Amino acid sequence: MSDTTPQTTLDESADVDDRDVSLRLEDVTKTFEDGGGEVVAVDSVSMDIRDGEFVVLVGPSGCGKTTTLRMIAGLEDPTEGRVVIHGEDVLGQEPRERNVAMVFQNYALYPHKTVRENLAFPLAIRKYPKEERASRVQEVAELLDIAELLDRRPGDLSGGQQQRVALGRAIIRDPEVFLFDEPLSNLDAKLRIEMRTELNKLHARVGKTSVYVTHDQEEAMTLSDRVAVMNDGKLQQIAPPQTVYERPANLFVEGEAVRATRAVLQTLGERLQAGDATDLVFGVRPEDVTDTTVVDESFPPETTFDAYVTVVEPIGANKDLTLAPSESAPEDEEFTVRVDANSTAQPGDTVTFAVDMSKAHLFDRATGENLTL
Amino acid sequence: MASKDLGIEQYRRRQRFWNVVESPYVVHLVLFLSVFFIVGPLAWELLTSFKTNQAVYNLTYLPREPTLESYYIALFDRGFWRAVVNSIIIASASTVAVMILGTPAGYVFSRYRFPFDNLVFTFVLFTRLFPPIGLVVPYYRIMRFFGILNTRTGIVIAYVYLWLPLVIYIMRNFFITIPQELDEAARVDGCTKIQAFRHVVFPVVLPGFAAGTILTFLYSWREFLFAFTVSTDLSSMTIPVATYLFVGDTSIQWASMAAAAVVATIPSALVVFFFQRYIVVGLTGGLKR
Repeated sequence: MSDTTPQTTLDESADVDDRDVSLRLEDVTKTFEDGGGEVVAVDSVSMDIRDGEFVVLVGPSGCGKTTTLRMIAGLEDPTEGRVVIHGEDVLGQEPRERNVAMVFQNYALYPHKTVRENLAFPLAIRKYPKEERASRVQEVAELLDIAELLDRRPGDLSGGQQQRVALGRAIIRDPEVFLFDEPLSNLDAKLRIEMRTELNKLHARVGKTSVYVTHDQEEAMTLSDRVAVMNDGKLQQIAPPQTVYERPANLFVEGEAVRATRAVLQTLGERLQAGDATDLVFGVRPEDVTDTTVVDESFPPETTFDAYVTVVEPIGANKDLTLAPSESAPEDEEFTVRVDANSTAQPGDTVTFAVDMSKAHLFDRATGENLTL
Repeated sequence: MASKDLGIEQYRRRQRFWNVVESPYVVHLVLFLSVFFIVGPLAWELLTSFKTNQAVYNLTYLPREPTLESYYIALFDRGFWRAVVNSIIIASASTVAVMILGTPAGYVFSRYRFPFDNLVFTFVLFTRLFPPIGLVVPYYRIMRFFGILNTRTGIVIAYVYLWLPLVIYIMRNFFITIPQELDEAARVDGCTKIQAFRHVVFPVVLPGFAAGTILTFLYSWREFLFAFTVSTDLSSMTIPVATYLFVGDTSIQWASMAAAAVVATIPSALVVFFFQRYIVVGLTGGLKR
């Protein structure tokens, strides 16, 4: 497999019936001029998104996920490739012609308009009749529980309330596709989780095709029908969250996208691979590692390794242990495992751990590709 | 030990010094002097304007027989009411022209990338750096070439030239404080680019626009050099220029000049009084959010 177009084989939706496709990206590429040089922000990304599907674009900052979203919205023009919404090539169309709605990171509410006027704006600018505007505003306000805020201005609302108004302004027009650009990132942790749940409920009720950009893996996992992992402008994998989690397509997906440790346990890897070990990277998820001292079970010796414990963090049902290959190992060789809460490991101990080999993966060091799929 | 005590003693002495400096008495003294220097000349002007041109030389502060004679001389005998009308027309027209041209220009500089955009913007600012006196002669020749010396149009064109770069700069800074997501949200919600500007961006920038308008009006109202160069008769003369005409070859008619100056000051004072909030916003170049 060529590493320039990994998505062609990794997109598990390749067999989707054309009629179900609500949004299709075909080899979409975006390059920016940057002081004489060209920067490739999005590198021939292709995906088919089904009608009503909730797809989350996830990846580190600068990976091209927001640019991809903006190209769907029409706020940026792709350098190459096509964007197709409901069978229609929308390239060259203005955002207003595309029948999409977008929720922005900072909500982008119109500060000089009341909540009612904000909600009604997409209808007013399209010259909907007054009665219909009023009834739809009422409907959406009740759906989002903001009916009592209608006469206030955005400046008087809390972050969560502003968020709801922004959502309301997006759904009021009943568009073909919803676009979300990190909509929860300005909320505090508690509210973020609440709003996440609400978004899930809302999607279940409204059932519209949604593309959601975030850098938060948890958000990606909980909200999505499918997760699209991006890095360096390229689509790394697009698959249901559990698949991405259990069968990462490459080292990047495993390492960055689902918060797995890149537990590069070289000795263990060497034992398993015999021979070309330096070409391979051994990866295992934090929770697929067991502290052998607290489990009354014997592990095959080839699945165990000794490690030096540097930090112990109890998190309730589990303990997160930060491990190093040895006491003197440099910090960048440290990795985290998640063990049972009754583990008695203390910082400074050297403990024997076991790996659940059925869940471990081997990656090609050069391409990052998962060889165990 | 001793040096430490000395240090503390020094610290305390410095504290006492600053306590005195920051005390209400000193603050009020400074304030009083500042106000005196600002209000003093204005008061002199106002008092003098109620004297007759002869009474000015009586060397009393208060007018002995307060009279509006000087105002009458300035406005009607000399016909300077026409200069007041000219000033109103010229300041209003140039303000409208500058805002109509400068607001979209500032918006474009704040939002769009185009070839040589920074260079163009720098050039716009650069034109503000020349001392106006250095431009008066070429400007005079251009106006003569087009035959619009001694016309209000000639002065309005000068003011557009003078204040437009400033307004472009001020408006650009206001637009920069407005997040671009607002324009984008409006466009996704169904606006064309121009509708997004009209329905969303412009209403939000309105306080800044008001500030720009008021500043331009005040600057145009008080401008002297270009108006003085372009106009020599009452058909286009502005009130600051007319005021200066009381300086004669052999004598200065102080009282009439003071009266004309008071007339020239009143509109500015009213604008400042009613719109000070926007003037502060305009000068500091930021909208409170």
